[in-house]
Amino acid sequence: MRLSVAAAISHGRVYRRLGLSPRSRLDLLRNLVTALVRHERIETPWARADEMRGYAERLIDYAKRGDKDERAMRMADFWLTEKDLIHKLFKVLAPRFQPHAGSYTRLLQIPNRDGLDRAKMAVIELKGNPLPPLVRPRRDSDRTLLNQLLKGYRQDAQRARGT
Amino acid sequence: VLVLVRSPLPRLRALLHRCWGRLERGLWPAVFGGQSPPWGPALAVQGPALVPQGISVAGTPSLPESVVWMAAPKQRRTIEVNRCRRRNHSKLVEIKRNIDVCPECGNLKQKHVLCGHCYAKVKEETRLIRMEIYKKEGGPFNAPTVETVVLYEGEKPTEKDEGRRIIERARKRPSWFVQN
Repeated sequence: MRLSVAAAISHGRVYRRLGLSPRSRLDLLRNLVTALVRHERIETPWARADEMRGYAERLIDYAKRGDKDERAMRMADFWLTEKDLIHKLFKVLAPRFQPHAGSYTRLLQIPNRDGLDRAKMAVIELKGNPLPPLVRPRRDSDRTLLNQLLKGYRQDAQRARGT
Repeated sequence: VLVLVRSPLPRLRALLHRCWGRLERGLWPAVFGGQSPPWGPALAVQGPALVPQGISVAGTPSLPESVVWMAAPKQRRTIEVNRCRRRNHSKLVEIKRNIDVCPECGNLKQKHVLCGHCYAKVKEETRLIRMEIYKKEGGPFNAPTVETVVLYEGEKPTEKDEGRRIIERARKRPSWFVQN
């Protein structure tokens, strides 16, 4: 039974290593969360967006407890470096997401960055934001076989109900 | 019960002697395919060098005592062999089969990625909206405590937009930005 971890095996590790150190990683994520709460849609490398998503959603869960809650206020104070966003979090985002159970953010991949590094980029946005939508919901075309059959069935049912 | 165990070492040594002799003399065609063995004279000893008989000729330059021979290719690799190695399937670029046509604009896009053209359109419009927001807020760190709604030319706020901050954009509403 192996009791120690061999070098260069990272099975089961969930947290990515970003930035220069663990403290730097938290600062990076904190800046991204602040930017997301301020602008409601940001474009960053996919790994950072994916890492930040969990923290942002947990922050909103804390905010849903209400601003009288001591822990919620301390969390918001740590995670949002710009203090006017604490008001926005508790007064705008918490009521907006009160009916939802989870998944307050949407993460979509974008074509690779134009610079030399060709990094895998993503856009992460809070749902229900006032900005133009990124993806238009597409209805299935009416010309497919299944849809034509369903249309015929609907017309037959209507005719049967009519007569 | 008395068990007689023959030590396997003398037999093994004799076998190895024979195989080595055959290899050296080139009498084992299966190993090198009829050519001479690809190794040259090996000299990897430190201290007093033990030079075998065939090597000590007056013409060879005198070598320093503690020298170690390195591996080097014996024969030039032919272009056919080189091509086989360079064009091996694992070294070629993989073909992508996940490219589709965007239904909105007709450009090509990967299936799991947003269309670049449509995203550029949305990004430009977002930038203009954010400029209007910045003008309305007047300065940094003035995030509002109410929701925001964007209205285009000739649009009135509905009863759903009661307590919201209104951002005006001086253009017609684009077809892909549906008001709800």
